[in-house]
Amino acid sequence: MRVIHRHLIAAVLAGALCTAPALAQPAPPRPGLSTPRVVEAADIGRYGGTFVTSTISDPRTFNPIASQESSSPTGLLWEGLTETNRTTTEVEPNLAESWTVSQDGRVWTFRLRRGVQWSDGRPLGADDVIFTFDAIFTPGVQSSLPDVLTIAGKRVGYRKIDDYTVEFRTEQPFGPFLRTVGPVQIVPKHKLEAALRAGGAEFNRTWGVNTRPADLVGNGPFVLASYVPGQRLIFTRNTRYWKVDKRGQPLPYLTRLVMEIVPNQDAMRLRFQAKQTDMYGARPREYAEFRARQQAENFTIFDGPPTFGGEFLAFNQNPAGVRPPKLTWFQNAKFRQAVAHAVDREAIVRQVYAGRATVRYGPESPANRFFHNPNVRGYPYDLARAEQLLREAGFTKGADGVLRDSAGNVVEFTIATNSGNQDREAIMNLIRQDLAKLGMRVTAAPEAFNTLVNKLVGTFNWEAIVLGLTGTLDPHNGQNVWRSNGSLHLWWPKQERPATEWEAEIDRLFDQAATTVDQNRRRQLYFRFQEIVAEQVPVIYFATPLTQPAFRNTLANFSPAPLAFYDIETIYYRTPYR
Amino acid sequence: MLLYVIRRLLQLIPMLLGITLMAFVIIKLSPGDFLSEMRLNPLVSPETIERMRENFGLNQPLAVQYLRWLWNAVRLDFGYSFAFQVPVVWLIGSRLFNTVLLNVVGFAVAWALAIPLGIYAARRQYSLGDNALSFAAYLGISTPTFFSGLFLLFWAFKTGWLPIGGMTSVDFEFLPWWGKVLDVAHHMVIPVLVVGVFSIAGLMRQMRAALLEVLRQDYVRTARAKGLREPVVINKHAVRNAINPIITIFGFELGGLLGGSAILENVVGWPGLGKLLVDATLQKDLYVVMAALVFGSVMLVVGNLIADVMLAFADPRVRYD
Repeated sequence: MRVIHRHLIAAVLAGALCTAPALAQPAPPRPGLSTPRVVEAADIGRYGGTFVTSTISDPRTFNPIASQESSSPTGLLWEGLTETNRTTTEVEPNLAESWTVSQDGRVWTFRLRRGVQWSDGRPLGADDVIFTFDAIFTPGVQSSLPDVLTIAGKRVGYRKIDDYTVEFRTEQPFGPFLRTVGPVQIVPKHKLEAALRAGGAEFNRTWGVNTRPADLVGNGPFVLASYVPGQRLIFTRNTRYWKVDKRGQPLPYLTRLVMEIVPNQDAMRLRFQAKQTDMYGARPREYAEFRARQQAENFTIFDGPPTFGGEFLAFNQNPAGVRPPKLTWFQNAKFRQAVAHAVDREAIVRQVYAGRATVRYGPESPANRFFHNPNVRGYPYDLARAEQLLREAGFTKGADGVLRDSAGNVVEFTIATNSGNQDREAIMNLIRQDLAKLGMRVTAAPEAFNTLVNKLVGTFNWEAIVLGLTGTLDPHNGQNVWRSNGSLHLWWPKQERPATEWEAEIDRLFDQAATTVDQNRRRQLYFRFQEIVAEQVPVIYFATPLTQPAFRNTLANFSPAPLAFYDIETIYYRTPYR
Repeated sequence: MLLYVIRRLLQLIPMLLGITLMAFVIIKLSPGDFLSEMRLNPLVSPETIERMRENFGLNQPLAVQYLRWLWNAVRLDFGYSFAFQVPVVWLIGSRLFNTVLLNVVGFAVAWALAIPLGIYAARRQYSLGDNALSFAAYLGISTPTFFSGLFLLFWAFKTGWLPIGGMTSVDFEFLPWWGKVLDVAHHMVIPVLVVGVFSIAGLMRQMRAALLEVLRQDYVRTARAKGLREPVVINKHAVRNAINPIITIFGFELGGLLGGSAILENVVGWPGLGKLLVDATLQKDLYVVMAALVFGSVMLVVGNLIADVMLAFADPRVRYD
């Protein structure tokens, strides 16, 4: 079916191509572009072709500054000053061709690549960068960026030096600076200036999903050709893109990129198997089945990299939420360590993730290659060790098989999770069974997501919870969770002063790492943080799920890495059909 | 009659007030709001969330929020979606046509088949054909749409005869106009079949029952005794008298044109209002939910009103003045 359609497109396009030979035989990079950015890829590609992917949700807005979701397609249209290499996770030049940092680590100077053009042909320069940050900090603009761009209580300062140089200044040296400022997507001043002048509320509504695609002037590899709500997004090649391959040929190779909007994961799978889409992020359970089929159905499924996230179990240690004796148990590190030893992580890996996960003990995922500390205290499944730890903490298991604390209280509590999340519900039930072996009476209670959030950050009225949070590349971005005064410090948010010595140490480590610019030093500090968390287990981790993306063999240059499965600009069709 | 229509339309006003107020209060009483999910994002500070709540007006007292919404709604300004930052009317409009198209075609197919089938079944009560139709009807009524939808999708996948979900093909924009029509028609087969079978089953049973009732009447016997041909007896005398309950159903279904198929739309990936509204409800995108509710209620009332008016034309005994 797909093949027939493609030939049809080829026939229809044949006419169009006569008038646009540039597409078939791309011109050398535009003169004036001082140093085009070279993108490394396994193969030099061929031009042409359409890459069809699928997504579950409609975009909420095309405005990259007002966008709250990381999954939005704005990344195809706009890029930032720097880029994180998706394999090495190192920061690389992007719209900025180079940068320098002052001795004291407070002043960053970026030199922009000369000759970069917006997709409408206007030059991209320092004014656009300044405008972008002006927009972010305009009151009323719906953006979470001011939060991460406020360092030690003061906003990052910025000014234009000349048309191609921008300087940023922070109150204190800021360790995650490049990873925070670098990826901010730069938007065109000449298109958005009027909207910003009309105020924050107006700016938020600019470039909404009802915008004419031609108005979305970008600097990314593609431009939006059309958006049909609930059906698909169609992108076409940005002929003014400023990246090239190793031979100096302009990228991207693809002519079109289509994102089909489908209702759910099952539909994604069906469409992929029916050869209507070219990529599918398979679920762990589907890996074996897809592996068996890949040759017959002409696709490749990768034994993909780990994800950044991971589910965990946390106990409420907040006196405003639980009372003794439960509070006393939950605040006792030995109790938590016993639980950590009593959970059979291998069983979770096998049963919840069909073997497509690795056992995990610390807060950073191994996907975070630079910051992940592999040598933290482990908690292998060991009931004897768990029982010993409980005895040391004064718990005794009676002849009736029920665990009681030193005062004779039966150890019973409720684990909650958000209903509808199958992985979390399964983990919750496995934990319940494991803890029953220690004599704990655990009730598993899935709840509606909103109710759960309200308990977690509002009433604090919960006992134990199975949850997962989005992982971040720089551990600094997790400070809202790990610092004792953080609003998401799950087990006891917004403490006025750290309740325990180890929490105080984590606070110090985060403060220090935030103001250290030397990345290797920061890495050591975050290594120590991971050791503390693994030692004290306020949050007990179980497993890091792996990914298993499948790609059709008609396309090439896929190389799944933790940050992304591919660089879209280097994907190409092995046999071009137009 | 005109007076009656006006009176009915005026009754809409207190009804809409009641419906919207109740919906508003219920949505507000249930835990969480649109910003709940953001509260679990480590990158968003509580201050930012508070600022957004202010921007959205969600920090106002309930009465103020409702009255402000109402005042704007009266002037046909249904506000902006929280999630999309576009006017609610645009958002609904972008999917309205697709839902109406699917439902109208499904509706037409269902009625065109169900009425003759119901008549046939009533005329040959307890015959093999009637029993077969009854059996099929029970099957149709008791199969949930999501199940038949999934089943047909799977069948389409196995055979490759029909597209698996969606409304258009990837290359839709390159097709000539007749190709576009065919493409959409091709994609509509499964959803129409699902919508159609479900309502055919019910309608057919209704038609059969209504006609059977009438066929026992004296005037039908009289008509036959006069020596009228059977088609005239059935079509002119019996069906004409049996049609009243069917017209009422017609009005009711007319009201359901906007909604009703949310589950099916979700299963087959039809880009209609269904998924949008379900998502909006789950996310508590308040103004989208409220606008949909208002449109839905108006459609329901207007649909019933149309049915009542048609009833007056169909049956001279029905008088409203």
